[in-house]
Amino acid sequence: MTAGRLTIIHVDLDAFFAAVEQRDHPELRGKPVIVGGDPRSRGVVSTCSYEARKFGVHSAMPLRTALSLCPNGIFVPVDGAKYQRVSREVMTVLRRFTPVVEQVSIDEAFLDVAGSEGLFGPAPEIARRIKIEVVAATGLTVSVGVATNKLVAKVGSDLRKPDGLVVVQPGEEAAFLAQLEIRRLWGIGPKTADRLHGLGIRTIGELAALPVETLARALGEHGATLHDRALGIDADPVVGGGEAAKSVSHETTFAVDVTDEAEVERTLLALTEGVSARLRAAGIRAGTVAVKIRDSQFRTITRQKSLPEPSDLTDTIWRAALELARPEVRGKKIRLLGVAATGLGQPEQTSMFEIVDEKQRRVVDATDAVRRRFGDRAVTRASLLHRPMPSPFERDPASAVEGRVGIPRIEDDIE
Amino acid sequence: MKLSVMQENLARGLQVVSRAVPTRSTLPVLNNVLLRTEDGGLKLTATNLEIGMTYWVPGKIEVSGATTTPARLLTDIVAGLPTNERVDLELQAQETLHIQAGRFETRVKGIDAEEFPAIPTAGDKPTTRIAQNVLRKALTEVTFAAASDEARPILTGVLARFEGTQLTLAAADNYRIAVKTITILDPVEETSIVIPARSLDALSRVLSETDDPVSVVLSPSRNQILFHVEGIDLVSRLIDGQFPNYQQVLPKSHTTTATVDRDQLLKAVRLAGFIAFSSANIVKLHIGKEAATGLMVSAAADIGDNHSEIEAQVDGDGTTISFNAKYLVDVLANVPAEQFSIELNGPLSPGVFRPVDDADYVHVVMPVKTTS
Repeated sequence: MTAGRLTIIHVDLDAFFAAVEQRDHPELRGKPVIVGGDPRSRGVVSTCSYEARKFGVHSAMPLRTALSLCPNGIFVPVDGAKYQRVSREVMTVLRRFTPVVEQVSIDEAFLDVAGSEGLFGPAPEIARRIKIEVVAATGLTVSVGVATNKLVAKVGSDLRKPDGLVVVQPGEEAAFLAQLEIRRLWGIGPKTADRLHGLGIRTIGELAALPVETLARALGEHGATLHDRALGIDADPVVGGGEAAKSVSHETTFAVDVTDEAEVERTLLALTEGVSARLRAAGIRAGTVAVKIRDSQFRTITRQKSLPEPSDLTDTIWRAALELARPEVRGKKIRLLGVAATGLGQPEQTSMFEIVDEKQRRVVDATDAVRRRFGDRAVTRASLLHRPMPSPFERDPASAVEGRVGIPRIEDDIE
Repeated sequence: MKLSVMQENLARGLQVVSRAVPTRSTLPVLNNVLLRTEDGGLKLTATNLEIGMTYWVPGKIEVSGATTTPARLLTDIVAGLPTNERVDLELQAQETLHIQAGRFETRVKGIDAEEFPAIPTAGDKPTTRIAQNVLRKALTEVTFAAASDEARPILTGVLARFEGTQLTLAAADNYRIAVKTITILDPVEETSIVIPARSLDALSRVLSETDDPVSVVLSPSRNQILFHVEGIDLVSRLIDGQFPNYQQVLPKSHTTTATVDRDQLLKAVRLAGFIAFSSANIVKLHIGKEAATGLMVSAAADIGDNHSEIEAQVDGDGTTISFNAKYLVDVLANVPAEQFSIELNGPLSPGVFRPVDDADYVHVVMPVKTTS
């Protein structure tokens, strides 16, 4: 990261899933499109088009509520595989401008363009070209923020959605944030916001003016961090690119925070299935398994452990992931879960007695073959049947898992 | 219950049985030690339901009886009392144990002895007897190789195969195996059982360096084994299941042998281990062709590298093989031989480690496949 220079760009796709559906189905354009599935089901809104937002529909809202607010809304099911494909196309466009691309979810990424300016011009110019080239490649619009750090760039991209471009000049960070409502800041969810409202704090400027001690008393350790953020201070570097594959990971953000341990375990299984299938497809085994857990307070932890021997098997990796996650999820509301396989291609300890019997290996090989031919859902574990599991967001395999903690997303921005 | 015992005896007894106290238990009474007057003394009992230990402390009984008292608390309190002091124990109202030693007086609340699970004790005729020092050495050389994780419960145990006057102990964790055969004093019909390695660890701590025998009682239903030495009983459940056929993995031949001084090799592997630890903990053994340079131990990682050369008497083709340093250190540190012979068949075949002066012990370590 280049501190103090205008090189950080945040790119966020506008109403991503809904926009993809409108692109592919011209009859949906200009209409309130609600992605999430059957409005009579118990699901929630995954994304909705801007037309639907006018009716008060938003992400994570129960579909039934969305239906009552917007009876003429067009409800479409989630097509995870398609969004994943489009997401990859967008990321490919971003990598034309810099190798340092940190994809933080299916529809957003940070870029550090330090070093690319000689080729493409200053960061605001690169931002304009990104907008044009993403539209050209995918037909989708993005909102872009340009600033000296990730925090301010992200607030910027969020400010003029859709199709926005916000540039915050160096030194202007605090002033830029000052007039904004506190909810726009990373790490301020509804609860923190309520507590701050109780203190009479409405804008980020008011938050910045509060003495650190007062904030720390009101919010604990989190308070000091928030104070820095309110001033537009953020030292988190853009991590990505440039390195060989060190890990394979999948993660998913829940539409609604989850407390049910069985649901957590099923989700870990689904994520692990994806991770281990990719390991097997690449013919590599992982020596270490890591889980990433983010709770409703945006506290993100990662836990990892070595496997007794490198593995590419779902069961082995899932067991390790469960062991890591179980003590950490108890009593928490979980917002995001991730499973990563690292320690790839390590020297392999040979074993004395074959633990994995040939039968299990044959089952795995057969299911992989079926999925390659008939699609990912052609064979499913019984425990994952009839459970709409969102297609997990695949971590960019070209970057390491470490150093990716603590990138909270704005609470109501879940697309 | 009212009695007197000597502090050293009680402290030692509590120290011994507290090894059987679970680290945490959902059954509160298991956190306690059972105190019961018996045979003109005090019998202490603790159990985690896998292993049960009893220890008999000589004493002077005024009123017989029984109670249970929090084990760790009582152990700490008694250890803190002056040595050579007489300790008077008295069970008072509401299951409270009154502990008096000179001017130190303590009261600890307990749980009714009726709640404590019944622990079998030696009463039956022993199945066989084994010299304590012989069994203790064998356990030191074998139990460390048992698996510590529960992925395959059978491997957390030690196979004990009795046959005639021989007992063969084998432990394996899928990457290595240790096998030792010892002589027992009374012949036993052929029997194989699997004893939790944790129980044997506890047993080896109570065995002493004498050739006085430890009695072994195998329960008729073959689900428990009991060891008895002077004043101490240790009973352990057995692990159900089939221990893998380790005979199959013991190499029958080899192409290279190196005979080395154990101390030197251990030092070299430990040194290499400091470097190896930062990556996958792999050390390489390189043995030159006959009468060449001896044995080279090396490790290389991002932070640096290490090479040691040690004298070796080499026979055969020579080879290079990689092992997890931990497994080499384990065998070399636990088996007290002057010299080891290492038998190899090439980089991907198991390595055999034999103490030169002990034909009854063999240790096999699986190699690590490296990419280079």
